[in-house]
Amino acid sequence: MMKKYKFSSAALLLLLFLPAISWSQSYQMFYKAAGSPANPGVQASWNKYYTNQGVADLCSKLAKTYPDLVTMETIGKSFQGRDIYLLTITDKKTGIHSQKPGFWIDGNIHSIELQGTEMTLYTAWYLCEMFDENDFIRKLLAEKTFYIAPTINPDGREYFTSSTVPPRSGLAPRDNDRDGLVDEDGTDDLNGDKEISLMRIKSQRGNMKIDPSDPRKMIRVAPDEKGDYELLGYEGFDNDGDGLINEDGPGGYDGNRDWGFNWEPNYVQNGADKYPFSFPENQAVRDFVKNHPNIAASQSFHNSGGMILRGPSIRGGGSEAYSRQDDDVIERIGLTGEKIIPGYKLLTIWKDLYTVWGGELDWMHGNGCFVYSNELWTSYLMFYDSTNTDQYEFDRLLLFDDAFIPWQKAIHPQYGEIEIGGFKKTLGRLHPGFLIETDAHRNAAFCIYNAYEMPLLEVKDITVKNLDGGLKEVSAAIENKRMLPTHSASNLKYRIDPPDYVFLDGGTVLSGMIVDDVLQNRTTEQKKNPGRLEVNNIPGNSQVYVRWIVKGGSKFNVKVESVKGGRASGQSK
Amino acid sequence: MILSLAAFAYATQISAQNKYRNFTELSRKTESLAKEYPALCSVKSLVKTAGGKDIFVLTIGTGEKDQKPAIAVLGGIEGNYLAGRELALGFAENLLKDSGNPDIKQLLSSITFYVFPDISPDASEQYFTGLKYERVINSRSTDDDRDFVSDEDPYEDLNGDGIITLIRVSDPAGTFIESDDDRRIMVAADLSKGQKGSYFVYSEGIDNDKDGKFNEDGPGGVNPNRNFTCNYEEYGQNSGYHAMSEPETKAVADFLFDHFNIYSTVAFGPQDNLGQPLKASEKQPEFTSFEQGMGRGVGMGMGMTRGAPREPVDRRITAILKKDEIINKLVSDKYHEITGAKGAPSAVQAPGNFMDWAYYHYGRYSFSTPGWWYPVEKGKNSEVAFLSFAEKNRIPDAFVPWTEIKHPDFPSKKTEAGGIKPFIMNNPPADTLGYLISKHYEFITALAAMHPELEFIDTKIENRGDNLFSITLKVHNRGIFATAAEAGSINQWTKIMRMVIEPAKGQTLLSGQKIQRIQRLEGGSTAEFSRLISGKGSVLISAGAINVGTIKTTLELK
Repeated sequence: MMKKYKFSSAALLLLLFLPAISWSQSYQMFYKAAGSPANPGVQASWNKYYTNQGVADLCSKLAKTYPDLVTMETIGKSFQGRDIYLLTITDKKTGIHSQKPGFWIDGNIHSIELQGTEMTLYTAWYLCEMFDENDFIRKLLAEKTFYIAPTINPDGREYFTSSTVPPRSGLAPRDNDRDGLVDEDGTDDLNGDKEISLMRIKSQRGNMKIDPSDPRKMIRVAPDEKGDYELLGYEGFDNDGDGLINEDGPGGYDGNRDWGFNWEPNYVQNGADKYPFSFPENQAVRDFVKNHPNIAASQSFHNSGGMILRGPSIRGGGSEAYSRQDDDVIERIGLTGEKIIPGYKLLTIWKDLYTVWGGELDWMHGNGCFVYSNELWTSYLMFYDSTNTDQYEFDRLLLFDDAFIPWQKAIHPQYGEIEIGGFKKTLGRLHPGFLIETDAHRNAAFCIYNAYEMPLLEVKDITVKNLDGGLKEVSAAIENKRMLPTHSASNLKYRIDPPDYVFLDGGTVLSGMIVDDVLQNRTTEQKKNPGRLEVNNIPGNSQVYVRWIVKGGSKFNVKVESVKGGRASGQSK
Repeated sequence: MILSLAAFAYATQISAQNKYRNFTELSRKTESLAKEYPALCSVKSLVKTAGGKDIFVLTIGTGEKDQKPAIAVLGGIEGNYLAGRELALGFAENLLKDSGNPDIKQLLSSITFYVFPDISPDASEQYFTGLKYERVINSRSTDDDRDFVSDEDPYEDLNGDGIITLIRVSDPAGTFIESDDDRRIMVAADLSKGQKGSYFVYSEGIDNDKDGKFNEDGPGGVNPNRNFTCNYEEYGQNSGYHAMSEPETKAVADFLFDHFNIYSTVAFGPQDNLGQPLKASEKQPEFTSFEQGMGRGVGMGMGMTRGAPREPVDRRITAILKKDEIINKLVSDKYHEITGAKGAPSAVQAPGNFMDWAYYHYGRYSFSTPGWWYPVEKGKNSEVAFLSFAEKNRIPDAFVPWTEIKHPDFPSKKTEAGGIKPFIMNNPPADTLGYLISKHYEFITALAAMHPELEFIDTKIENRGDNLFSITLKVHNRGIFATAAEAGSINQWTKIMRMVIEPAKGQTLLSGQKIQRIQRLEGGSTAEFSRLISGKGSVLISAGAINVGTIKTTLELK
């Protein structure tokens, strides 16, 4: 009897462990590499571009798989009625998202600048997947909130992924050539290959010839040489018979000239529309940011050029104020970005690029935020060599001619027999598949670093001193342990956000004061409402000191609430 | 046909208007005009304000109204300029009453009018409801003094007279004294003249939030006349969260932008370029008239030009352009001639105002005036000047005499309430409204008569034999206004004139384009075109644009 029982229990134990054995066998298919999740809860691959459906799908999966971290919502609709998705990512168990410093990321405001979406999706995915595995990420999501909008121009994105080459803008119709007709003469996909390529025609008058060493290339002939081809521009013909080609296609404005700060009309700033926030996509972002004043810093992804752009966008900065301290912080973070993303350079928009009136970066700054805008992709990334930027060589050696449309015959309604060819729309400004994840990780790392340096407040050194007449003097220090101040210079000058409020609980407050100089013991009393002290700003890596005269009580609680700096509290011993 | 201006003299009837109407009365009148003249007039409510009031627009014209060149007339530009509403709606009333008059009939067959009686109805209604104070802000609750609380410090009627004037507090630390020219008026003490202040002066009310400022954050709001995009002031006083943030301004701008047929605006508000026309600057910006603004964002989306960093160029136009200056002067002279107005009101610069927006950002001929003002000698105090004007013109009770009151913020100091009554410095006595409406009606119809008008002249057909024909013709602008304001030539929201040649079947255009742009034509100037056509038949030629009208002609080549 005993023998039989023993045998069964052994079999039982084996049965129990069997699934574990087979499970660990499948688990062993992957071995974790440094800094990456080996078995992500949401499977995602990063060597392709996401369509709008793909964006919605990945966002939903993240929200479903990580409900304690992620909330997915629609913040508005595009011109053609598509959802603009937003992910709020924070450790919900440690606090409400709006009470933590917020970091905003958006991508793809310009239709062909697709990869900004992949950067934002990767950031969202990476934060979720590494939360359980990595202390730094875990702490980051406990302290901070990320607001991630993968694409704020889904109409343009749709056009790119399903049609030909979209305009830079969204797709609201506009009469670009002011002839009374709207969108009547855009590019034409003459050979139906969903690309807008170059046209060339065999011509006695031509000044171009085929490169004898590479049939893909067209080169200009020497002055004493006779060419046999003429380049005719991008695919298209004169649809409306007015003598111009492709002068009025779909859309035709610039979504990044539509923001309500230092806005100027089209004759000053090419691409501006009627007035700021003419477009529903940007209105959605405006409304969300306005209702989330905890957003303290942001990133907007564009392409191309390999840049980390900072403001001001117009000379002199217009109404903005950049203090010396703000500038130092912006430079420091930006220059660290150059390390994180080799090939990318920190540039000031008006000085190193060109003037931009009504851009998103300035508007965010005007809301008191610290802002960068990265121009993704640079030809340096092809060979990690700024002296070799030969796209043809790159396409041959690394993409196996996949990115080039070989020259082929086509019939043009005006010119007759022509040839069409050239690089695809997915090379030149967009990352080729195999380079998306690397740059996504690097740009995500820049965002993470940026977000990390948003304020982190701590209440410390609470001391209680007994005074005459049974009164007590309660002092405390509020430290900001990170680089960004709670209020930028603009924020202080224009009173965009309220001051940081410091509350005392535990006794009757008779007087409250800011300690301007700890060593000299110089204070300024706040006459009104001393139970809620108003601290204008807590600069980066510094402390402010507060003090109250209190009647009664023995244990005191000091609480700081900062719109962009988050919250913290401490108790006296 | 250009109408003779004298023809209006007998036609105008003096308007009977003799009171300022509130929102309900104006709305009722607006709607009744559409009912009374259904063929000529339609009314639309563009949007409801935060205070629940409509922004109305009346469309007055004949036939395809929205396809004809048009003038927009706007009142209520600022909420304390009430007369403007009467002038705007009164214009519409007179125009419709007069529509049987052959000259007006002729005018309405060529020109459409869009009339906005009041674009700031939340603010203007303050005059008619309860406490009278000059309000310019709409009903959107805002934190006007940036103390992170909204609407916490309104006016209070301390002396119970139903209006808000001033209070003066006797205080040796005060900075105000009584004016030497009129002891009722308070002026800042001038240290350079050895004056020492003995009063503090505030608007009538208490310091509700005890911040040392009085009545700085009342109900509302944003001032629509600070909310337009031209020279918009970020973080400005009552300027709104951003330019064009308000339903009023957005609705008006959207309507104007959507109506490409509008070529001029006439606004009644604090800004003025009819009493005193604007001056151009010596340096004119360089741009070719109709190539600017074309073909941006051309199809490809590869728009971002990168290159070596270049010196930023500031392309903003900040003064009226020379050709438009000429028209402004002409129209200002006409204004003085018809209305009999002398001098000009004091210039009121303000960021984000409508008059500047309509010119610099909307690219149209933009005219504006308060419609009524009193004379102020250069260098003199305007309040003192007003009181003497009021006396001369028998405007009764212009000044509320200083009377002592108890003020909770100054328990131990002598405080008095008094001052010039609100509204009367900006608005004429109600019994003069009828006259002013009639005069401004005359003026606007005279302005409309100066509209640009195209005609074909010097049409020549030359039969060159072998079925070959040369045609030449000229497009002539026989109006006074140019076919577009010079500021409009670079504006994305104006259309460019085109000539279209349509040969018949069997005819071929051998030389010259089928569709050709016509550059902007000053009043009286001409553009010449020629074409070479083979084949007999009728060639249809049209020329124009929606804001100037399109002319057509058919040439028989036989």
